[in-house]
Amino acid sequence: MRAPPVDEPLLDLRYRVETPEGIALTLAPAGVVARSVAFAIDFSIRVALLMTVAVALGLLGQFGFGLFMIFFFGLEWFYPVLFELSPWAATPGKRALGLKVVMDDGLPVTPAASFIRNLLRAADFLPFLYAAGLLSMLVRSDFKRLGDLAADTVVVHIAEPAHAELATDAPPRPPERQLSTRAQSAVVAWAARIPRLTPARAEELAAIAAPAVVPRAREDQQVAALAGVARWLAGQR
Amino acid sequence: MTPFEFQRLHEPIWRELELAAGLRRRDVGDAAPGTAGTAEKDRARFAALYRATCEHLELARVRAYPVHLVERLEALTAACHQRIYRQSDLGLARLGRFFLVDFPGTVRAEWRAVLLAGIVFVVPMLAVGVASYLDPAFILSIHDASSVDRYDRMYGDGSGGRRPEDSDWAMFGHYVRNNIGIAFQCFASGLFLGIGSLFYLAFNGVLAGSIAGYLTWRGLGPNFYSFVVTHAAFELTAIVLAGAAGLMLGRALLAPGRQSRRAALASTARKAVVIVYGVAAMLLVAAVIEAFWSGAAWIEPQVKYAVGATCWIGVLAYLVFFGRPRRR
Repeated sequence: MRAPPVDEPLLDLRYRVETPEGIALTLAPAGVVARSVAFAIDFSIRVALLMTVAVALGLLGQFGFGLFMIFFFGLEWFYPVLFELSPWAATPGKRALGLKVVMDDGLPVTPAASFIRNLLRAADFLPFLYAAGLLSMLVRSDFKRLGDLAADTVVVHIAEPAHAELATDAPPRPPERQLSTRAQSAVVAWAARIPRLTPARAEELAAIAAPAVVPRAREDQQVAALAGVARWLAGQR
Repeated sequence: MTPFEFQRLHEPIWRELELAAGLRRRDVGDAAPGTAGTAEKDRARFAALYRATCEHLELARVRAYPVHLVERLEALTAACHQRIYRQSDLGLARLGRFFLVDFPGTVRAEWRAVLLAGIVFVVPMLAVGVASYLDPAFILSIHDASSVDRYDRMYGDGSGGRRPEDSDWAMFGHYVRNNIGIAFQCFASGLFLGIGSLFYLAFNGVLAGSIAGYLTWRGLGPNFYSFVVTHAAFELTAIVLAGAAGLMLGRALLAPGRQSRRAALASTARKAVVIVYGVAAMLLVAAVIEAFWSGAAWIEPQVKYAVGATCWIGVLAYLVFFGRPRRR
């Protein structure tokens, strides 16, 4: 882990892991609430499965009971392992919340690690209702439960959808003042967000930046002017 | 260089890599699937393009290029990183190596933990066994009267724990869920400084010892021992090994050596889980034997003793001798 490349340390809980190539990947660990909801979904799925299978196998008498116990055992211990080793690296509950399990270094979770973290679920559960796991998640900034600690895994949010390319058609224009690199990237980032902002919000933000970037633009032209500067900065000249 | 020039210059590389990393669908301009010399087909080229893209990402960050560009490169490098450094420890060859070398090797390497777990299991078992044999009322301080009554009936009808055969499968399922669950519990609770494992080991030892001692006093010993001798070879050994794996976790936390406790726990857990895999396999074998062999009424007790002894020797020999490096 090392300091973010451009600006000061992040204020949020994301943390960076460095790859052997020297680039930093950003991981966003998932907190107690998201994971509890995911667990509740998984739990419901398991109960539903168990009840369905119980009815079906109930028709087979003693033999069916045996199969049911085996199914119960598999569901109890290996339901998460099975899904974590799938390409999604997440149980259906985690997928529903946009979470997945990765190794500490951002790599896909290994079978051994998945096995460890799910066997140690039994320890997280103690003394009742996942109290140990909950405590561990609450005191750590990366929200690891005991199983995660031993397995070197972490549950992360899948990265949110990427920003769009500049979608504005305002005529490119140079800024009226010299801009620092950070100011430049702020303007370009704002322009990229225009499609996702309401027009009023875009104007509001433009009104903050315009005096520093395009002081001579008329008040009703600020959005267009600033978007033009963004295109110019990005190289569409 | 403006972001647009930068993007125009490197776009072909990124697109080729995005295709190879499965981040986008095949387009009109792309080479046909499996064309030689593309990043999709050629691993060296994939790695080279990946390294180039890492460089681009770092440049884009330092030059504060637009967010969408940086994010695209971040997603691309992250996906390639996952492909290149993915570790896989599954596979049939791996499985063979596991049972021939890794599992018995790890058990021997951790002989101290195994020995301690064995003592914590066996000593209470023998002590309580002898106590229940000498004083039959002693068992009532461990089990309630109704379960004692059930043991009496199970082994007392001369069938030696034998049941009608259609219930074999039901018992198999029960043993799988129950016994392997106990073993996993025994391992997992070791995370609490090993105390949980010690407790479960002693607890299970006491349970087994009390029943054995009591039934021996009742004179039902032959029924009982002929029933348990075979699967006990796998089951008791596996419980001890699961406890040993749990104790390893506890030791990592109590005496991490020259690592942080976190790092010691993580590296020990990777070793301990090897034992737990083996334990699960052994308990599966035990469940098969217990359901389909131990309870079979048509097999003479003498045969069961003989097979049981063979299993004990086999299991111990397996753990002691398998997977040793060859001597010259």
